[in-house]
Amino acid sequence: MKQTLTKKMWRETGSAYLFLSPALFVLLLFIIGPIVFAVFLAFHKVQLLGTTSFEFVGLDNFARIADDTRAKIALWNTLKYVAIVVPCQTILALVLAATLNAGLKGEKFFRIVYFLPTLTSSAVLTLIFMWMYNQNGLINHVLEAVGLPTYNWLGDPDVALNAIMIMNIWSTAPYFMVIYLAALQDIPDSLYEAAELDGADAWQKFWHVTVPYLRPVTSFVVVMGLIGTFQLFDQSYIFSAGSGGPNNSTLTVVLLIYQYAFKTLGTMGYAAALAFALAIIILIATLLQRKLSKEESLY
Amino acid sequence: MGKTKWIAALGITTMLFGSVLAGCGGDEKSEQANGGSKQGEKVEVTLAGWGGNPSEQKLLQQTLDDFEKKHPNIKVKYEVIADQYMDVIKTRLAGGQGPDVFYLDAFEAPALIETGALEPLDKYVTDEFDVNDFEKPMLDAFKGEDGKIYGFPKDYSTLALFYNKKMFEEAGIEVPKTWDELREAAKKLTKGKDVYGFGVAPELARLYYIAESKGGKVVTDNKASFADSKVVEALQPIVDMHLKDKTAAQPNEVGATWGGEMFGQGKAAMVIEGNWAIPFLQDTFPNLEFGTAEIPTINGKKATMAYTVAYVMNKDSQKKEAAWELISYLTGKEGMKTWTSKGYALPTRKSVAAELGFDKDPLRAPLVAGAPYATVWQNGTNLPIIVNNFNNQFVSAFLGERPLADALKEAEKTANSEIESR
Repeated sequence: MKQTLTKKMWRETGSAYLFLSPALFVLLLFIIGPIVFAVFLAFHKVQLLGTTSFEFVGLDNFARIADDTRAKIALWNTLKYVAIVVPCQTILALVLAATLNAGLKGEKFFRIVYFLPTLTSSAVLTLIFMWMYNQNGLINHVLEAVGLPTYNWLGDPDVALNAIMIMNIWSTAPYFMVIYLAALQDIPDSLYEAAELDGADAWQKFWHVTVPYLRPVTSFVVVMGLIGTFQLFDQSYIFSAGSGGPNNSTLTVVLLIYQYAFKTLGTMGYAAALAFALAIIILIATLLQRKLSKEESLY
Repeated sequence: MGKTKWIAALGITTMLFGSVLAGCGGDEKSEQANGGSKQGEKVEVTLAGWGGNPSEQKLLQQTLDDFEKKHPNIKVKYEVIADQYMDVIKTRLAGGQGPDVFYLDAFEAPALIETGALEPLDKYVTDEFDVNDFEKPMLDAFKGEDGKIYGFPKDYSTLALFYNKKMFEEAGIEVPKTWDELREAAKKLTKGKDVYGFGVAPELARLYYIAESKGGKVVTDNKASFADSKVVEALQPIVDMHLKDKTAAQPNEVGATWGGEMFGQGKAAMVIEGNWAIPFLQDTFPNLEFGTAEIPTINGKKATMAYTVAYVMNKDSQKKEAAWELISYLTGKEGMKTWTSKGYALPTRKSVAAELGFDKDPLRAPLVAGAPYATVWQNGTNLPIIVNNFNNQFVSAFLGERPLADALKEAEKTANSEIESR
């Protein structure tokens, strides 16, 4: 009896792996393989074109990051971007979700309107925004009409990154809003009733019931936000036509990696090292976030 | 029951595996089958380039049709890489999927030649091809350090001063002959923030000849040397025109994407652009009355830039003979004549230039006149790094964030440290 069971188990696991094998094969070939290769590249000086060569250089590529002014600028820009965009988009998403959940009129209509930006591809979105950011484009006209100063959004190094931040907050907040919305519908009414009995007003209910109850969701939203913003590439790439300009102001780490990997020849290894470093930074940021938000448990 | 399941599972998996593997392998096999250029069989040569405007495409297609007529055993597959041309080409070459023949800008040439990805062309050249007919500076741009020729320039373009005739008439001034005159003219032509006298592109590709006009060098021994006080002195007037005179602006300050557009929209009375702006302006702004003139002299010396593009051959190409046939036709006297006949670009062969007579065309004569004294936009393998750093910092000086000398000093330091650690 026992033996047949093991045999059956073996057979089942075997067939399970057989069924999995195409997926595993694809995973190995297209996901695990490239990762391993990228790590391999990070420790080599690589010339892929023409006479292909790999020269082992140990940690030289990583040491080089320390002397690279542009890498420092890129890292600084990225950190600044993350530090501003993540909190803003999280708070905005929460506020949007809360208003949608409050049972106002036309809720469904607004839900659709708010969610629309998420459906557009980021490349198209960037092009539309660039058009609006134009010196005599829509945004400057609006600012002028209400008596605010206008900016050279695309060409002024002091505002170019902010322009990308605004664009990105606007486009990603709705995505997180939907996640919040789902979580909000999950909060038992009894909690609010109890709070009401204790004499809590709307603000207190939001702050003391809604926000704590949403903590695990917030944690998820922040982690996803961190990962997404650290990888900022397409917006700044299109914005600056791949240069990271004006004056390095929109240069992000991923854009720099792209430049070293594809723009300049023979720096593929260094680009891989930068990518590796970025992966570690994201890992640390995520772990820190989890440490800070402490609990993963639901109420 | 169990057994049949097993067999079914095995069957499905092998099928899936098989199709994946077949998908991977299939291309290679068919590639190789096409590769062998057997006698009598039709050979397909791939040619990659960036797209031009529709009229230009038509000219190229015509040239290719002529070629196919003369070489019935060769078929040309023309591919347009619309965006990020060099990135695509480099990636494809690295992946072993590069085209047989492709465009290469002189600016990128030294670095690509150094990698050994290109086929030297000397051994294919015949007397009939007449190498000495090419303008020497354009040809030299595609010579490797080993002295071999890696590409033949298909055409070139120089820069000239474009001016708005109506605005000049209203201001009652003559076309400037020197940079000092240009600066004065710009003052008279500027109307607040609506019209700037001079539309300037603050990038090295357009400023190189100005930067070197006082005797300084932008690149020395393949390293950046543009923080030289002579270079700073030469470039300072451009910055001053923007910040002090407020008579110059870059296109994005007025909502244009490039100089030609800024000029066409009437937001700049003068710009310095190349050949490509002529058909653009005629097509997009048909009512605009503009003229061209040679670029004003600096210190009494004439100077301008020349940009050139060559056809080069992929070293890994399986069809080198056919590829050479194509290159030799496209850059030969006949092909080049067809290609440059409409004047979108200027012929690099002296005989073709003489035959087509662009030196007599009122709009193109100043451009042709610039060829003998032009600086070719190319200088060593590190120019891409140098340019990137220069442009980034020059803009900050141009916008008035800090003095030009400081900006260039920092850019030079960054560029050289990047070069050293390569």
